Amino acid sequence: MPRFFSNKRLILLLVGVIVLVALIAFSLKDRQSANLPEKMVKDVVGFGQSLISKPAHSITGFFDDIDGILNTYEENKTLKARLTEYASTEVELADIKEENERLRKIIDKKDDLRAYDPVQATVISRNPDQWEEKIIVDKGAKQGIKRNMAVLTANGLVGKVVLVTPFKSTVELLSTENQNFRVSAMIPGKKDIFGLMEGYDPERGELIMKRIDSSFEVKVGQKVMSSGLGGIFPKGLLIGEVTEVSTDDYGLTKLAYVRPAAEFSMLDHVMIAKRQSATAKGTDDPGTSATEGEDGS
Amino acid sequence: MTRFIIPLIAVVLFFLEPVFSLFSPIELGDVRYTLVPRFVIVYLVFIASYYDLRKAVLYGLSFGLLYDMYHIDIIGIYTFLYPLICFLAFVIIRQVHRSTGTVMLLSLFMVVLLEMMSYLFASLIALTSINLEVFMTARLVPTVIANLIFIILFGWLFKNLIYKRVVEKQAGM
Repeated sequence: MPRFFSNKRLILLLVGVIVLVALIAFSLKDRQSANLPEKMVKDVVGFGQSLISKPAHSITGFFDDIDGILNTYEENKTLKARLTEYASTEVELADIKEENERLRKIIDKKDDLRAYDPVQATVISRNPDQWEEKIIVDKGAKQGIKRNMAVLTANGLVGKVVLVTPFKSTVELLSTENQNFRVSAMIPGKKDIFGLMEGYDPERGELIMKRIDSSFEVKVGQKVMSSGLGGIFPKGLLIGEVTEVSTDDYGLTKLAYVRPAAEFSMLDHVMIAKRQSATAKGTDDPGTSATEGEDGS
Repeated sequence: MTRFIIPLIAVVLFFLEPVFSLFSPIELGDVRYTLVPRFVIVYLVFIASYYDLRKAVLYGLSFGLLYDMYHIDIIGIYTFLYPLICFLAFVIIRQVHRSTGTVMLLSLFMVVLLEMMSYLFASLIALTSINLEVFMTARLVPTVIANLIFIILFGWLFKNLIYKRVVEKQAGM
C-alpha cells in the first residue's frame, strides 16, 4: 500500500510510536500521586461525568425502587421473622459496647483501631475497559480523602483509594489482579488468624488470602475481616467468607479462597473510612510492600 | 447548528461509556460476562467513513488522551489506538461500497479489533492474566453483542446527522 505510507506518513507513524512507548513507560512507573495536568483533567472531566452520572443513578434508582415495591410482601415476611432476633442482638450489642467503653476507660486506652469516620461518596464512573478494576468517586482531597483509605459498602469492604485529586478520587476494587494490591486481613476466632488479602481468581470470582501461618486451623465458612494492622484501614471491616483452604505453591503457608461479602458490580454509593487513630505506613500501602518482592503465585 | 451537535454527541458518548460499564460484569449461571461499552469508537468510525478522516483522527486523539488520563492512568494506549482505528476504517471504507449496512458492520468489526488490541496491551503490561479462550467467551462475545445493539439503535441517527452536516458544508457554511 504505497499510497498510505508515503515518507512523511511513515516518519509521523514512527515518531508516534516512539512517543507512545515513552508515555507508557513514564506512566507505568509506580507513581504515588498524579501530576498537575492529570489532576486538572481528572477534576474537569469528573465534573462533566458527575453531571451525566447522577441523573443516570436516579433513573436506575427509580427502577430499583419499583423492583423493591414488587418484592415488599416477601421481604416483609422474612424481615418480621428476623426482627425479634434482631431486637435481642441489639440489646446485647449495646451492653457489650458499654462494657467495652468502661474497660477502655479503666485501662486508659484512647486509640481504637475500629473507630472511623465514614465519608459518603457517590460513584461517578467505572473504568470502561475493565482490565483494571477502578471506579471514580466524587470526593477528593478537599473532603479529607487520602491515599490508601478503605472503601466500603453496607455489605463490606470493596477496595481502597489509589489516587486522589482535589475533588475526585480513584478507587481500586478488591477484585483486581494487581499483585501490589494488599490488605492485611484476619480471621477472628478463639485465636485470631492473620494473613494478607492479595490477588483475585477471576474464574472463581473469589479473593485469595495468603500467608496464613500453617499452624493455624482455618475452617470453611469462617468470616474474614480487615485487621487494622496494615496501617491505614480500620479494624473489623467485613471482607468475606472462607470457601476453600489449601497450601500455597511452596507448601510453607496456607492460602484461603474468600468469597467477597460485597458486590462489585452496580456500585453507586460507597463509604470511605477515615480511621480515627493514628495511621502508619504498612502492608496496605503498596509503596512499602513492593520491596517484599513477589511470592510466586 | 449541526456543527456543534457532532462534537457534542462525541462528548455525551464519552461520558455515557463509564455509566454503562457500571452494569458490568453480569453473572449468568456461573460465568461472569464483561461488557465493554465502545460507543465513542463506533461514532468515530461513522465520522471517518461519512465525514472527514482528519476530524475523526483529531477527535480520536483528544478523546483517547482524555480516556487514558481519566480512566486508565496509563497515557498512550487509547491515544494511539483511537486514531489508528479511525485511519483503518477510512482505508477499508474506500475499498467497499459505502452503505449504512456496511458502515455498521465495519464499526462492529472495529470494535472487535479495538478489543483485541486492548487485550494485547493489557496482557503485555500484565494487567490481566486471563487466557485467550476466556477472553473470547467471557469478554469479546458479550461486548460485541452489547455494542451491536447500540449500533443498531443509533447507527441511523449518526448517519443522518453526519449526512446533514456534510450537506450543510457543501452548501457553503
